[in-house]
Amino acid sequence: MRADVIEPTTNPFVGRSPGRRWISRGAMALCTLCTAVALAVLFVVLAYMGIRGIEYMTPAFFTNLPLQSPEGMRNCIIGTVILVGLASVLGVPVGMLCGIYMAEYAGKGWFSYLAQLVMDLLAGTPTILLGVIAWQLVVVPLHQQSGWSGALALAFIMVPIVARASEEMLRLVPHPHREASAGLGASKAQTLFMVILPAAKAGITTGIMLGIARVAGETAPLLFTALGNDQAVYNPSQPYPSLTLKIWQYSQSAEPAWRHQAWTAVLVLVTMVLIFTAAVRFTVRGRKVNMI
Amino acid sequence: MTASTNPTLPPNPFVDVQQNAFRRGIDAATKAAALGGVLLTITILIIVFAVLIHGSWMALRQIGWHFFTTQAWNPVPGRDKYGVLSFLYGTGVTTFLALLIGVPLSIGTAIFITRIAPRWLAGPVSFLVELLAAIPSIAYGLWGCFVMSPWLQNYLEPILYDALKHISIIPVGKYPSGRIEFFPANLVHGGPSGSDFLAGGLILTIMILPIITAITRDVLQQFPQEIEHGAYGLGATWWQTTRLALAYCRAGIFGAVMLGMARAIGETMAVIMVIGNTDHISASLFAGGQTMSGVLANEFMEADHPIYLSAMFYVALVLMLSSLVTNVIARALMARIDRERKVA
Repeated sequence: MRADVIEPTTNPFVGRSPGRRWISRGAMALCTLCTAVALAVLFVVLAYMGIRGIEYMTPAFFTNLPLQSPEGMRNCIIGTVILVGLASVLGVPVGMLCGIYMAEYAGKGWFSYLAQLVMDLLAGTPTILLGVIAWQLVVVPLHQQSGWSGALALAFIMVPIVARASEEMLRLVPHPHREASAGLGASKAQTLFMVILPAAKAGITTGIMLGIARVAGETAPLLFTALGNDQAVYNPSQPYPSLTLKIWQYSQSAEPAWRHQAWTAVLVLVTMVLIFTAAVRFTVRGRKVNMI
Repeated sequence: MTASTNPTLPPNPFVDVQQNAFRRGIDAATKAAALGGVLLTITILIIVFAVLIHGSWMALRQIGWHFFTTQAWNPVPGRDKYGVLSFLYGTGVTTFLALLIGVPLSIGTAIFITRIAPRWLAGPVSFLVELLAAIPSIAYGLWGCFVMSPWLQNYLEPILYDALKHISIIPVGKYPSGRIEFFPANLVHGGPSGSDFLAGGLILTIMILPIITAITRDVLQQFPQEIEHGAYGLGATWWQTTRLALAYCRAGIFGAVMLGMARAIGETMAVIMVIGNTDHISASLFAGGQTMSGVLANEFMEADHPIYLSAMFYVALVLMLSSLVTNVIARALMARIDRERKVA
């Protein structure tokens, strides 16, 4: 190649726009402003929840039932915890199996693509529709709203979250672990149970916690399924109390005392969810977790 | 398989403990269980569609395409009329508003995190923005309904009204005359209520912001250092380099926007608490409306006669398909990035 053939090209960056340094500074300031706005929104939302929630918080909130005087939400808090527990029992094993399949067994064929697509689509399905499905599958045959139907709707939401988290965590286990295990004569299942799963245990646990944090705050899928209950009823074949449903119900009322209760309930709910989320963040620090 | 019987070697934990046939059986069972999980999940998605189509079959037969050209939603037996148009409009307008405000805000925040903030600041800012995604939708709804709506009504909307009162846009809709009409209407009219399309759009903005930010941030981190250094070497300013990064990552950013859009379409509780809940098509930002998910949340349990219930399922089906299309486009774009990343 002869050097004298190369024509001098125009520099695409310099000299085109005279004010480019000022434009650059302005753009930088705008991006910083965007961040400030986003953080300000977070701060305002959390501040209101904290201030209003603590202002109206009473010991009775944690010890009494909605129709007692003074009223509380003891049954709703317990109800939400049990409901999420039931949903985890239904959803976590299925989600983990999907994660294991996609990380360990899936090849590059059409079935892997299909599985991935289905996971993504289920994760993207509006949660209220999963409530409609659980209503049709459980409430209609049994002629009654129930904790089971609510748990099923929440389990539908958990499956793709747990699956994706498990898959990512299993993929993080270094490949040489598998080779070393196979070299010792371990079968695929032995490698999975004795090498890979123990190595990914912490990551999968946090994935499950992420799923729990996510469904604990769900309201829409419970509207037609769990329905809510003012009594301390914890039998899942009955309409079931739930913190989020109670917040929704009270927020629609004109009664100031109920609105105050709703603020306290939101503070309790958000505190539970944020503790879980922050715990996830700090246990897997440095590793990549899809939080959303 | 005699390794562990050799006394000079340490006992092998895997081999010879079980019979070969037994090991193969465990192997096959494990794989079958994992496959079973995937098949069950595929079945769930099939059931979702089956239930929605089965439930809406009557409405599909009786209403058909008129569902998309009818604005009226009147569930009174005998005089009943069902159309999804006003709910589609509500979902569309609130989603559009959320993207209009949320996309620049999110991309700006993502640029700040990846290209401006020092390392010690980027992590915490990232974490705080992700916390926005963790707050449940009902909590945003309560905040929106008791804090944001009154603020909009008393402060922001009067200012907006003065600023925008001369602007008119042209809505399209099928009005009681039966024909599709076009006519100019004001962007803002009627008194500020605080429970309107604007409020719905703003609350959705907050909810999609963390998703778009997080994904855009991840995508921007893939921008190759070589290109960045090359650009700086040619004398490019920070913004010129950032524009290169945005152009390089455009598919991923578009995917992030589509994912945010899917979230906005499916969001229920926060929106119904601030949007006013009327089946109304209006060009005005200050008019109340209703979204598809909102009408499901409000009326599904009240649907007491077959065609009403079937129409509710029809709304659910339309919602499912809207969200499906958006998600598929988003995932296709994201998959393209993954492939490009693997090649690079």
